[in-house]
Amino acid sequence: MKKKRYAIVLDTRRCIDCKACTVACKAENDVPLGDDKFRNWVSEEPLRGRYPNLGQSFAPSQCNQCENPPCNSVCPTSATGITAGGIVTVNPDKCIGCKYCMLACPYDARYFNEETGVIDKCTFCIQRIAVGRIPACVETCPTKVRTFGDLNDPNSEVSLLLAKNRYRVLKPELGTKPFLFYLI
Amino acid sequence: MSAIVNKPGQMLWFFLLGGCLIAAAAAAGYSFMVGHEQAFNVTRGVPWGILIATYVFLAISCSGLCLISSLGHVFGFEEFTLICRRAILLAILCLMGAFGAIGLDLERPFNMIYTLLSPNFSSAIWWMGTVYGVYLGVLVIEFYALMTDNHKLSMITGSLGFLFAIAAPSVLGSVFGLTLARPFWHGAFLPVYILITALVSGTALISMVMYFQHALRGLEMDEKDRRVIRLLGRILRLMLFVLIFSVFWNIIVGLYGAQPGHYEPVKALVSGSLSANFWLGEIVIGLVVPLFLLMRKNRTPFSTMMASLMALIGMFFMRYDMTVAGQIYPMRQGAKGLTDGLFTYSPSVSEILIVIGCIAFSALVYTLVEKFLSLDLESEHHSQATPDNS
Ligand code: SF4
Ligand code: SF4
Repeated sequence: MKKKRYAIVLDTRRCIDCKACTVACKAENDVPLGDDKFRNWVSEEPLRGRYPNLGQSFAPSQCNQCENPPCNSVCPTSATGITAGGIVTVNPDKCIGCKYCMLACPYDARYFNEETGVIDKCTFCIQRIAVGRIPACVETCPTKVRTFGDLNDPNSEVSLLLAKNRYRVLKPELGTKPFLFYLI
Repeated sequence: MSAIVNKPGQMLWFFLLGGCLIAAAAAAGYSFMVGHEQAFNVTRGVPWGILIATYVFLAISCSGLCLISSLGHVFGFEEFTLICRRAILLAILCLMGAFGAIGLDLERPFNMIYTLLSPNFSSAIWWMGTVYGVYLGVLVIEFYALMTDNHKLSMITGSLGFLFAIAAPSVLGSVFGLTLARPFWHGAFLPVYILITALVSGTALISMVMYFQHALRGLEMDEKDRRVIRLLGRILRLMLFVLIFSVFWNIIVGLYGAQPGHYEPVKALVSGSLSANFWLGEIVIGLVVPLFLLMRKNRTPFSTMMASLMALIGMFFMRYDMTVAGQIYPMRQGAKGLTDGLFTYSPSVSEILIVIGCIAFSALVYTLVEKFLSLDLESEHHSQATPDNS
Protein backbone atom coordinates (compact mmCIF):
# COMPACT_ATOMS: atom_id res chain seq x y z
CA MET A 1 0.00 0.00 0.00
CA LYS A 2 1.23 3.46 -0.86
CA LYS A 3 2.28 5.79 1.96
CA LYS A 4 -0.41 8.20 3.02
CA ARG A 5 -0.11 11.97 2.76
CA TYR A 6 -2.84 13.75 4.64
CA ALA A 7 -4.17 17.12 3.60
CA ILE A 8 -7.12 19.39 4.19
CA VAL A 9 -8.83 21.24 1.38
CA LEU A 10 -10.78 24.33 2.38
CA ASP A 11 -13.58 26.05 0.56
CA THR A 12 -13.58 29.32 2.46
CA ARG A 13 -16.57 30.72 0.56
CA ARG A 14 -18.71 28.45 2.66
CA CYS A 15 -17.37 29.73 5.98
CA ILE A 16 -19.92 31.57 8.13
CA ASP A 17 -17.46 32.37 10.95
CA CYS A 18 -19.35 30.28 13.51
CA LYS A 19 -16.04 29.08 15.00
CA ALA A 20 -17.42 25.61 15.67
CA CYS A 21 -14.10 24.24 14.42
CA THR A 22 -12.16 26.11 17.11
CA VAL A 23 -14.53 24.95 19.82
CA ALA A 24 -14.48 21.34 18.61
CA CYS A 25 -10.69 21.43 18.49
CA LYS A 26 -10.40 22.85 21.98
CA ALA A 27 -12.67 20.12 23.34
CA GLU A 28 -11.02 17.30 21.41
CA ASN A 29 -7.43 18.28 22.09
CA ASP A 30 -7.60 19.79 25.58
CA VAL A 31 -6.56 23.19 24.32
CA PRO A 32 -6.60 25.60 27.30
CA LEU A 33 -9.03 28.49 27.45
CA GLY A 34 -7.69 31.89 26.52
CA ASP A 35 -7.58 34.29 23.64
CA ASP A 36 -4.24 33.22 22.25
CA LYS A 37 -4.56 29.48 22.91
CA PHE A 38 -5.78 27.68 19.85
CA ARG A 39 -4.72 25.10 17.33
CA ASN A 40 -7.03 26.42 14.64
CA TRP A 41 -8.73 29.73 14.07
CA VAL A 42 -10.95 31.75 11.78
CA SER A 43 -9.57 35.09 10.60
CA GLU A 44 -12.02 37.77 9.72
CA GLU A 45 -10.90 39.59 6.63
CA PRO A 46 -11.61 43.32 6.30
CA LEU A 47 -14.98 44.48 5.00
CA ARG A 48 -15.16 45.12 1.28
CA GLY A 49 -17.18 47.75 -0.51
CA ARG A 50 -19.47 50.48 0.74
CA TYR A 51 -22.81 50.28 2.48
CA PRO A 52 -25.16 48.81 1.37
CA ASN A 53 -22.93 46.81 -0.99
CA LEU A 54 -20.73 45.02 1.48
CA GLY A 55 -18.82 41.79 1.46
CA GLN A 56 -16.61 39.97 3.93
CA SER A 57 -14.70 36.72 3.85
CA PHE A 58 -13.50 34.45 6.60
CA ALA A 59 -10.38 32.40 6.49
CA PRO A 60 -10.23 29.34 8.72
CA SER A 61 -6.75 27.96 9.15
CA GLN A 62 -4.41 25.79 11.21
CA CYS A 63 -1.03 24.09 10.88
CA ASN A 64 -0.26 23.40 7.22
CA GLN A 65 1.59 20.15 8.00
CA CYS A 66 4.26 21.53 5.70
CA GLU A 67 6.37 19.13 3.71
CA ASN A 68 9.40 21.32 4.36
CA PRO A 69 8.53 22.59 7.81
CA PRO A 70 10.83 25.28 9.24
CA CYS A 71 9.51 24.47 12.72
CA ASN A 72 11.07 21.04 12.33
CA SER A 73 14.43 22.34 11.12
CA VAL A 74 14.88 24.69 14.05
CA CYS A 75 13.95 22.38 16.93
CA PRO A 76 17.17 21.72 18.86
CA THR A 77 16.05 18.53 20.59
CA SER A 78 14.12 16.94 17.72
CA ALA A 79 10.98 17.30 19.82
CA THR A 80 9.28 18.38 16.64
CA GLY A 81 9.14 15.60 14.11
CA ILE A 82 7.30 14.45 11.01
CA THR A 83 5.21 11.34 11.52
CA ALA A 84 3.39 8.98 9.16
CA GLY A 85 1.08 10.75 6.76
CA GLY A 86 3.25 13.88 6.84
CA ILE A 87 1.82 15.12 10.13
CA VAL A 88 4.15 17.39 12.09
CA THR A 89 4.04 16.67 15.82
CA VAL A 90 5.69 17.81 19.05
CA ASN A 91 6.97 15.23 21.50
CA PRO A 92 6.21 16.82 24.89
CA ASP A 93 8.87 14.75 26.64
CA LYS A 94 11.62 16.31 24.55
CA CYS A 95 10.45 19.91 24.18
CA ILE A 96 12.50 22.43 26.18
CA GLY A 97 10.10 25.27 25.49
CA CYS A 98 12.61 27.46 23.72
CA LYS A 99 9.80 28.69 21.45
CA TYR A 100 12.09 28.88 18.45
CA CYS A 101 9.53 26.91 16.46
CA MET A 102 6.88 29.53 17.22
CA LEU A 103 9.12 32.12 15.59
CA ALA A 104 10.09 29.92 12.69
CA CYS A 105 6.55 28.97 11.68
CA PRO A 106 5.34 31.52 9.12
CA TYR A 107 1.70 30.69 9.85
CA ASP A 108 1.39 31.31 13.60
CA ALA A 109 0.33 27.70 13.98
CA ARG A 110 2.05 27.02 17.30
CA TYR A 111 1.36 28.17 20.82
CA PHE A 112 2.66 27.52 24.28
CA ASN A 113 0.33 25.33 26.31
CA GLU A 114 0.76 26.33 29.94
CA GLU A 115 -1.08 23.24 31.13
CA THR A 116 1.33 20.80 29.54
CA GLY A 117 4.27 23.20 29.78
CA VAL A 118 5.28 22.62 26.18
CA ILE A 119 4.48 23.75 22.65
CA ASP A 120 1.28 22.52 21.06
CA LYS A 121 -0.09 22.56 17.53
CA CYS A 122 -2.63 20.98 15.22
CA THR A 123 -1.95 17.31 14.43
CA PHE A 124 -4.98 16.79 12.18
CA CYS A 125 -6.30 14.98 15.30
CA ILE A 126 -3.76 12.22 14.94
CA GLN A 127 -5.46 10.29 17.75
CA ARG A 128 -8.67 10.15 15.72
CA ILE A 129 -6.96 9.27 12.46
CA ALA A 130 -5.43 6.29 14.26
CA VAL A 131 -8.90 4.86 14.82
CA GLY A 132 -10.19 5.73 11.37
CA ARG A 133 -11.98 8.97 12.22
CA ILE A 134 -11.56 12.38 10.65
CA PRO A 135 -10.27 15.52 12.44
CA ALA A 136 -12.75 17.16 14.83
CA CYS A 137 -12.76 20.48 12.95
CA VAL A 138 -13.64 18.70 9.71
CA GLU A 139 -16.37 16.64 11.32
CA THR A 140 -18.04 19.54 13.10
CA CYS A 141 -18.11 22.17 10.34
CA PRO A 142 -21.80 22.85 9.56
CA THR A 143 -21.13 24.14 6.05
CA LYS A 144 -18.41 21.60 5.19
CA VAL A 145 -15.65 24.10 4.58
CA ARG A 146 -12.96 21.51 5.27
CA THR A 147 -12.40 18.21 3.52
CA PHE A 148 -9.82 15.85 4.91
CA GLY A 149 -8.10 12.95 3.17
CA ASP A 150 -5.10 11.24 1.68
CA LEU A 151 -3.56 13.02 -1.31
CA ASN A 152 -1.61 9.95 -2.33
CA ASP A 153 -4.90 8.22 -3.10
CA PRO A 154 -6.05 9.62 -6.46
CA ASN A 155 -9.65 8.71 -5.70
CA SER A 156 -9.84 10.39 -2.31
CA GLU A 157 -12.20 13.30 -1.93
CA VAL A 158 -9.29 15.73 -1.45
CA SER A 159 -7.53 14.52 -4.60
CA LEU A 160 -10.73 14.94 -6.59
CA LEU A 161 -11.33 18.44 -5.25
CA LEU A 162 -7.81 19.52 -6.18
CA ALA A 163 -8.13 17.91 -9.60
CA LYS A 164 -11.34 19.74 -10.42
CA ASN A 165 -10.68 23.14 -8.87
CA ARG A 166 -8.08 25.83 -8.83
CA TYR A 167 -6.48 26.31 -5.46
CA ARG A 168 -3.75 28.19 -3.62
CA VAL A 169 -1.57 27.62 -0.60
CA LEU A 170 -0.43 30.22 1.94
CA LYS A 171 2.94 31.95 1.51
CA PRO A 172 4.20 29.56 -1.20
CA GLU A 173 7.24 31.81 -1.68
CA LEU A 174 8.69 30.59 1.61
CA GLY A 175 9.15 27.09 0.26
CA THR A 176 7.39 25.39 3.15
CA LYS A 177 5.18 23.28 0.82
CA PRO A 178 1.96 23.54 2.81
CA PHE A 179 -0.72 20.84 2.83
CA LEU A 180 -3.68 23.08 3.50
CA PHE A 181 -5.21 23.91 0.14
CA TYR A 182 -7.58 26.80 -0.39
CA LEU A 183 -10.00 26.50 -3.31
CA ILE A 184 -10.37 29.63 -5.43
CA MET B 1 48.95 42.46 46.31
CA SER B 2 45.50 43.05 45.09
CA ALA B 3 43.51 43.17 48.27
CA ILE B 4 40.71 45.59 47.68
CA VAL B 5 41.09 48.54 49.94
CA ASN B 6 38.38 48.39 52.55
CA LYS B 7 35.80 51.01 51.93
CA PRO B 8 32.28 51.44 53.18
CA GLY B 9 31.25 51.50 49.53
CA GLN B 10 32.36 47.93 49.20
CA MET B 11 29.89 46.71 51.80
CA LEU B 12 27.14 48.61 50.03
CA TRP B 13 28.15 47.09 46.71
CA PHE B 14 27.89 43.55 48.09
CA PHE B 15 24.58 44.32 49.77
CA LEU B 16 23.24 45.77 46.58
CA LEU B 17 24.29 42.81 44.45
CA GLY B 18 23.14 40.36 47.11
CA GLY B 19 19.77 42.09 47.22
CA CYS B 20 19.49 41.91 43.41
CA LEU B 21 20.25 38.20 43.49
CA ILE B 22 17.67 37.50 46.16
CA ALA B 23 15.03 39.48 44.27
CA ALA B 24 15.91 37.61 41.08
CA ALA B 25 15.74 34.26 42.84
CA ALA B 26 12.32 35.17 44.18
CA ALA B 27 11.15 36.21 40.71
CA ALA B 28 12.51 33.01 39.18
CA GLY B 29 10.83 30.90 41.87
CA TYR B 30 7.58 32.76 41.34
CA SER B 31 7.75 32.26 37.58
CA PHE B 32 8.21 28.53 37.99
CA MET B 33 5.36 28.35 40.49
CA VAL B 34 2.73 30.28 38.57
CA GLY B 35 4.13 29.51 35.12
CA HIS B 36 5.93 31.76 32.67
CA GLU B 37 2.65 32.68 31.06
CA GLN B 38 1.56 34.47 34.20
CA ALA B 39 4.90 35.83 35.35
CA PHE B 40 6.30 36.98 32.01
CA ASN B 41 4.82 39.32 29.44
CA VAL B 42 5.77 37.13 26.48
CA THR B 43 2.87 36.09 24.29
CA ARG B 44 2.01 33.97 21.30
CA GLY B 45 2.90 36.93 19.10
CA VAL B 46 6.12 37.88 20.89
CA PRO B 47 7.44 34.68 22.49
CA TRP B 48 10.97 35.97 23.04
CA GLY B 49 11.34 38.79 25.51
CA ILE B 50 13.93 40.62 27.54
CA LEU B 51 15.45 37.40 28.88
CA ILE B 52 16.52 36.37 25.40
CA ALA B 53 17.80 39.90 24.79
CA THR B 54 19.84 39.64 27.99
CA TYR B 55 21.17 36.28 26.95
CA VAL B 56 22.31 37.77 23.66
CA PHE B 57 23.80 40.79 25.44
CA LEU B 58 25.83 38.73 27.90
CA ALA B 59 26.85 35.94 25.53
CA ILE B 60 28.05 38.42 22.94
CA SER B 61 29.93 40.43 25.57
CA CYS B 62 31.70 37.22 26.48
CA SER B 63 32.95 36.75 22.93
CA GLY B 64 33.98 40.38 22.66
CA LEU B 65 36.06 40.11 25.82
CA CYS B 66 37.81 37.07 24.38
CA LEU B 67 38.54 38.82 21.11
CA ILE B 68 40.10 41.77 22.88
CA SER B 69 42.12 39.69 25.28
CA SER B 70 43.42 37.49 22.47
CA LEU B 71 45.19 40.57 21.12
CA GLY B 72 47.54 40.10 24.05
CA HIS B 73 48.24 36.45 24.61
CA VAL B 74 47.49 35.14 21.11
CA PHE B 75 48.57 37.90 18.78
CA GLY B 76 51.39 39.15 20.92
CA PHE B 77 50.41 42.77 21.40
CA GLU B 78 52.29 43.21 24.65
CA GLU B 79 50.11 45.98 26.00
CA PHE B 80 47.07 43.78 26.13
CA THR B 81 48.57 40.99 28.20
CA LEU B 82 47.78 43.26 31.10
CA ILE B 83 44.05 42.71 30.70
CA CYS B 84 43.98 39.01 29.80
CA ARG B 85 43.15 37.53 33.17
CA ARG B 86 40.38 39.96 33.91
CA ALA B 87 38.96 39.74 30.41
CA ILE B 88 38.77 35.95 30.45
CA LEU B 89 37.35 35.85 33.95
CA LEU B 90 34.71 38.34 32.98
CA ALA B 91 34.02 36.40 29.79
CA ILE B 92 33.36 33.25 31.81
CA LEU B 93 31.05 35.09 34.17
CA CYS B 94 29.17 36.85 31.39
CA LEU B 95 28.61 33.51 29.74
CA MET B 96 27.35 32.00 32.97
CA GLY B 97 25.00 34.95 33.41
CA ALA B 98 23.85 34.43 29.84
CA PHE B 99 23.14 30.75 30.48
CA GLY B 100 21.21 31.80 33.57
CA ALA B 101 19.03 34.14 31.52
CA ILE B 102 18.23 31.62 28.81
CA GLY B 103 17.88 28.79 31.32
CA LEU B 104 15.21 30.72 33.19
CA ASP B 105 13.48 31.55 29.94
CA LEU B 106 13.16 27.92 28.88
CA GLU B 107 9.92 26.30 29.89
CA ARG B 108 11.47 22.87 30.43
CA PRO B 109 15.19 23.36 30.97
CA PHE B 110 15.66 19.78 32.15
CA ASN B 111 14.70 18.40 28.78
CA MET B 112 17.95 19.90 27.50
CA ILE B 113 19.43 16.44 27.80
CA TYR B 114 17.73 15.73 24.46
CA THR B 115 20.07 18.15 22.74
CA LEU B 116 22.53 15.32 23.31
CA LEU B 117 20.26 12.28 23.04
CA SER B 118 18.43 13.35 19.89
CA PRO B 119 20.35 16.31 18.47
CA ASN B 120 19.00 18.17 15.46
CA PHE B 121 21.97 19.36 13.44
CA SER B 122 19.87 21.64 11.28
CA SER B 123 18.86 23.71 14.31
CA ALA B 124 20.77 26.96 14.81
CA ILE B 125 19.88 26.86 18.50
CA TRP B 126 21.47 23.43 18.75
CA TRP B 127 24.69 24.77 17.25
CA MET B 128 24.58 27.84 19.40
CA GLY B 129 24.10 25.81 22.58
CA THR B 130 26.83 23.37 21.66
CA VAL B 131 29.34 26.00 20.59
CA TYR B 132 28.79 28.10 23.69
CA GLY B 133 28.87 25.01 25.92
CA VAL B 134 32.27 23.90 24.61
CA TYR B 135 33.40 27.50 24.60
CA LEU B 136 32.75 27.79 28.33
CA GLY B 137 35.00 24.78 28.90
CA VAL B 138 37.76 26.32 26.79
CA LEU B 139 37.49 29.59 28.69
CA VAL B 140 37.75 27.91 32.07
CA ILE B 141 40.95 26.11 31.00
CA GLU B 142 42.27 29.33 29.51
CA PHE B 143 41.68 31.16 32.76
CA TYR B 144 43.46 28.44 34.66
CA ALA B 145 46.39 28.66 32.26
CA LEU B 146 46.57 32.42 32.63
CA MET B 147 46.41 32.25 36.40
CA THR B 148 49.20 29.69 36.58
CA ASP B 149 51.27 31.51 33.98
CA ASN B 150 51.28 28.42 31.81
CA HIS B 151 52.15 30.17 28.56
CA LYS B 152 51.96 27.16 26.31
CA LEU B 153 48.52 26.16 27.53
CA SER B 154 47.26 29.73 27.48
CA MET B 155 48.47 30.11 23.92
CA ILE B 156 46.62 26.96 22.82
CA THR B 157 43.41 27.69 24.70
CA GLY B 158 43.68 31.36 23.76
CA SER B 159 43.84 30.50 20.06
CA LEU B 160 40.96 28.09 20.45
CA GLY B 161 39.09 30.71 22.42
CA PHE B 162 39.71 33.21 19.65
CA LEU B 163 38.20 30.86 17.07
CA PHE B 164 35.21 30.28 19.32
CA ALA B 165 34.90 34.00 19.95
CA ILE B 166 34.41 34.46 16.21
CA ALA B 167 32.26 31.38 15.67
CA ALA B 168 29.97 31.72 18.67
CA PRO B 169 28.49 35.16 18.03
CA SER B 170 28.05 34.47 14.36
CA VAL B 171 26.23 31.23 15.16
CA LEU B 172 24.12 33.20 17.62
CA GLY B 173 23.41 35.69 14.86
CA SER B 174 22.35 32.82 12.64
CA VAL B 175 19.65 31.85 15.15
CA PHE B 176 17.98 35.06 14.07
CA GLY B 177 19.38 35.23 10.55
CA LEU B 178 18.03 31.82 9.53
CA THR B 179 14.40 32.50 10.36
CA LEU B 180 12.97 32.80 6.90
CA ALA B 181 9.58 33.78 8.25
CA ARG B 182 10.93 36.99 9.84
CA PRO B 183 12.25 39.36 7.20
CA PHE B 184 13.62 41.79 9.79
CA TRP B 185 16.04 39.13 11.01
CA HIS B 186 16.49 36.98 7.97
CA GLY B 187 19.70 37.24 5.99
CA ALA B 188 23.46 37.31 6.32
CA PHE B 189 23.52 40.71 8.00
CA LEU B 190 22.87 39.61 11.57
CA PRO B 191 25.72 37.09 11.97
CA VAL B 192 28.19 39.75 10.81
CA TYR B 193 26.58 42.62 12.67
CA ILE B 194 26.59 40.63 15.90
CA LEU B 195 30.30 40.12 15.52
CA ILE B 196 30.85 43.88 15.25
CA THR B 197 28.73 44.48 18.31
CA ALA B 198 30.71 41.81 20.17
CA LEU B 199 33.80 43.95 19.77
CA VAL B 200 31.95 47.00 21.03
CA SER B 201 30.65 45.20 24.14
CA GLY B 202 33.96 43.49 24.87
CA THR B 203 36.07 46.61 24.52
CA ALA B 204 33.64 48.69 26.53
CA LEU B 205 33.48 46.17 29.36
CA ILE B 206 37.21 45.74 29.66
CA SER B 207 37.84 49.50 29.60
CA MET B 208 35.41 49.87 32.46
CA VAL B 209 37.06 47.11 34.42
CA MET B 210 40.48 48.65 33.78
CA TYR B 211 39.26 51.95 35.09
CA PHE B 212 37.42 50.71 38.14
CA GLN B 213 40.00 48.23 39.29
CA HIS B 214 42.33 51.17 39.70
CA ALA B 215 39.88 53.77 40.88
CA LEU B 216 38.17 51.58 43.45
CA ARG B 217 41.38 50.21 44.89
CA GLY B 218 42.81 53.69 45.09
CA LEU B 219 45.65 52.76 42.75
CA GLU B 220 47.47 55.12 40.47
CA MET B 221 47.42 54.24 36.77
CA ASP B 222 50.93 53.93 35.49
CA GLU B 223 51.97 54.78 31.95
CA LYS B 224 51.32 51.22 30.78
CA ASP B 225 47.78 51.21 32.12
CA ARG B 226 47.08 54.55 30.56
CA ARG B 227 48.38 53.30 27.27
CA VAL B 228 46.11 50.25 27.33
CA ILE B 229 43.06 52.28 28.19
CA ARG B 230 43.93 54.72 25.40
CA LEU B 231 44.25 51.86 22.94
CA LEU B 232 40.97 50.37 24.12
CA GLY B 233 39.36 53.75 23.60
CA ARG B 234 40.69 53.82 20.05
CA ILE B 235 39.41 50.34 19.28
CA LEU B 236 36.04 51.26 20.71
CA ARG B 237 35.95 54.41 18.62
CA LEU B 238 36.66 52.48 15.45
CA MET B 239 34.05 49.84 16.24
CA LEU B 240 31.43 52.46 17.03
CA PHE B 241 32.12 54.04 13.66
CA VAL B 242 31.62 50.73 11.90
CA LEU B 243 28.53 50.06 13.95
CA ILE B 244 26.97 53.40 13.06
CA PHE B 245 27.30 52.47 9.42
CA SER B 246 25.75 49.05 9.97
CA VAL B 247 22.83 50.55 11.86
CA PHE B 248 22.39 53.22 9.21
CA TRP B 249 22.24 50.75 6.33
CA ASN B 250 20.05 48.36 8.23
CA ILE B 251 17.52 51.13 8.67
CA ILE B 252 17.75 52.34 5.08
CA VAL B 253 17.36 48.83 3.67
CA GLY B 254 14.31 48.33 5.88
CA LEU B 255 12.61 51.55 4.88
CA TYR B 256 13.48 51.50 1.21
CA GLY B 257 10.68 50.03 -0.86
CA ALA B 258 8.55 49.30 2.21
CA GLN B 259 8.76 45.53 1.92
CA PRO B 260 6.05 44.04 4.18
CA GLY B 261 7.46 42.34 7.25
CA HIS B 262 10.74 44.22 7.08
CA TYR B 263 9.41 47.73 6.79
CA GLU B 264 7.06 47.68 9.77
CA PRO B 265 9.62 46.65 12.41
CA VAL B 266 12.10 49.25 11.11
CA LYS B 267 9.32 51.82 11.14
CA ALA B 268 8.56 50.85 14.74
CA LEU B 269 12.20 51.55 15.54
CA VAL B 270 12.42 54.93 13.92
CA SER B 271 8.98 56.30 14.68
CA GLY B 272 6.87 53.69 16.43
CA SER B 273 6.64 51.78 19.68
CA LEU B 274 10.41 51.19 19.87
CA SER B 275 11.50 54.66 18.81
CA ALA B 276 12.43 55.94 22.29
CA ASN B 277 14.65 52.89 22.77
CA PHE B 278 16.15 53.34 19.36
CA TRP B 279 16.87 57.05 19.31
CA LEU B 280 17.67 57.59 22.94
CA GLY B 281 19.05 54.20 23.97
CA GLU B 282 20.81 53.04 20.82
CA ILE B 283 21.73 56.19 18.96
CA VAL B 284 22.27 58.91 21.56
CA ILE B 285 23.45 56.94 24.61
CA GLY B 286 24.97 54.04 22.73
CA LEU B 287 26.62 55.58 19.71
CA VAL B 288 26.77 59.35 19.38
CA VAL B 289 27.77 60.48 22.87
CA PRO B 290 30.39 57.74 23.38
CA LEU B 291 31.84 58.49 19.98
CA PHE B 292 31.97 62.17 20.84
CA LEU B 293 33.69 61.41 24.15
CA LEU B 294 36.21 59.16 22.44
CA MET B 295 37.02 61.64 19.71
CA ARG B 296 38.06 64.35 22.10
CA LYS B 297 41.78 65.04 22.07
CA ASN B 298 42.16 65.35 25.81
CA ARG B 299 40.24 62.29 26.82
CA THR B 300 41.04 60.85 30.21
CA PRO B 301 40.64 57.30 31.50
CA PHE B 302 37.49 58.60 33.15
CA SER B 303 35.94 59.82 29.93
CA THR B 304 36.88 56.55 28.23
CA MET B 305 35.13 54.73 31.04
CA MET B 306 32.06 56.92 30.66
CA ALA B 307 32.01 56.33 26.92
CA SER B 308 32.31 52.60 27.54
CA LEU B 309 29.53 52.57 30.08
CA MET B 310 27.23 54.40 27.71
CA ALA B 311 28.17 52.20 24.77
CA LEU B 312 27.36 49.18 26.90
CA ILE B 313 23.96 50.56 27.89
CA GLY B 314 23.38 51.26 24.21
CA MET B 315 24.30 47.67 23.39
CA PHE B 316 21.66 46.41 25.78
CA PHE B 317 19.04 48.52 24.05
CA MET B 318 20.26 47.20 20.72
CA ARG B 319 19.82 43.58 21.81
CA TYR B 320 16.41 44.31 23.19
CA ASP B 321 15.23 46.19 20.12
CA MET B 322 16.61 43.58 17.75
CA THR B 323 14.88 40.78 19.64
CA VAL B 324 11.54 42.51 19.93
CA ALA B 325 11.42 44.25 16.55
CA GLY B 326 11.87 40.94 14.74
CA GLN B 327 8.69 39.57 16.26
CA ILE B 328 6.18 42.39 16.24
CA TYR B 329 5.04 41.92 12.66
CA PRO B 330 2.19 39.37 12.78
CA MET B 331 2.48 36.19 10.75
CA ARG B 332 -1.11 36.29 9.60
CA GLN B 333 -3.90 38.69 8.93
CA GLY B 334 -6.43 39.18 11.66
CA ALA B 335 -4.21 38.16 14.56
CA LYS B 336 -5.60 39.32 17.90
CA GLY B 337 -3.96 41.89 20.18
CA LEU B 338 -2.41 44.15 17.57
CA THR B 339 -1.84 47.87 18.00
CA ASP B 340 -1.56 49.66 14.67
CA GLY B 341 -1.11 46.29 13.02
CA LEU B 342 1.81 45.24 15.21
CA PHE B 343 2.31 43.28 18.42
CA THR B 344 3.70 45.08 21.41
CA TYR B 345 5.80 43.85 24.28
CA SER B 346 7.12 45.33 27.47
CA PRO B 347 8.85 43.24 30.13
CA SER B 348 7.11 42.26 33.37
CA VAL B 349 8.55 42.94 36.83
CA SER B 350 9.63 39.29 37.15
CA GLU B 351 11.44 39.43 33.84
CA ILE B 352 13.25 42.64 34.80
CA LEU B 353 14.25 41.24 38.19
CA ILE B 354 15.69 38.11 36.57
CA VAL B 355 17.64 40.24 34.11
CA ILE B 356 19.07 42.32 36.96
CA GLY B 357 19.88 39.10 38.80
CA CYS B 358 21.82 37.62 35.90
CA ILE B 359 23.92 40.75 35.55
CA ALA B 360 24.33 41.04 39.33
CA PHE B 361 25.53 37.44 39.43
CA SER B 362 28.34 38.15 36.99
CA ALA B 363 29.28 41.35 38.81
CA LEU B 364 29.19 39.75 42.26
CA VAL B 365 31.33 36.76 41.40
CA TYR B 366 33.73 39.01 39.54
CA THR B 367 34.18 41.26 42.56
CA LEU B 368 34.65 38.28 44.84
CA VAL B 369 37.32 36.78 42.63
CA GLU B 370 38.98 40.15 42.31
CA LYS B 371 38.98 40.38 46.08
CA PHE B 372 40.38 36.95 46.84
CA LEU B 373 42.62 36.11 43.88
CA SER B 374 45.40 38.16 42.42
CA LEU B 375 44.46 39.09 38.89
CA ASP B 376 47.43 41.41 38.47
CA LEU B 377 50.43 40.14 36.59
CA GLU B 378 53.69 39.68 38.46
CA SER B 379 55.18 42.43 36.36
CA GLU B 380 52.65 45.01 37.53
CA HIS B 381 53.66 47.35 40.27
CA HIS B 382 51.00 49.56 41.59
CA SER B 383 51.43 52.57 43.70
CA GLN B 384 48.67 53.87 45.87
CA ALA B 385 47.12 57.05 44.63
CA THR B 386 46.25 58.20 48.11
CA PRO B 387 48.74 56.80 50.57
CA ASP B 388 46.61 57.54 53.60
CA ASN B 389 43.83 55.26 52.34
CA SER B 390 43.31 52.44 54.83
S1 SF4 C 1 2.39 25.37 9.52
FE1 SF4 C 1 3.95 25.98 10.97
S2 SF4 C 1 3.78 24.48 12.61
FE2 SF4 C 1 2.72 23.62 10.87
S3 SF4 C 1 4.28 22.37 9.84
FE3 SF4 C 1 4.26 24.38 8.83
S4 SF4 C 1 5.87 25.51 9.91
FE4 SF4 C 1 5.35 23.75 11.20
S1 SF4 D 1 9.84 24.94 21.79
FE1 SF4 D 1 9.98 22.70 21.87
S2 SF4 D 1 9.22 22.00 19.89
FE2 SF4 D 1 9.65 24.17 19.69
S3 SF4 D 1 11.76 24.29 18.91
FE3 SF4 D 1 11.92 24.45 21.13
S4 SF4 D 1 12.21 22.33 21.82
FE4 SF4 D 1 11.44 22.21 19.70
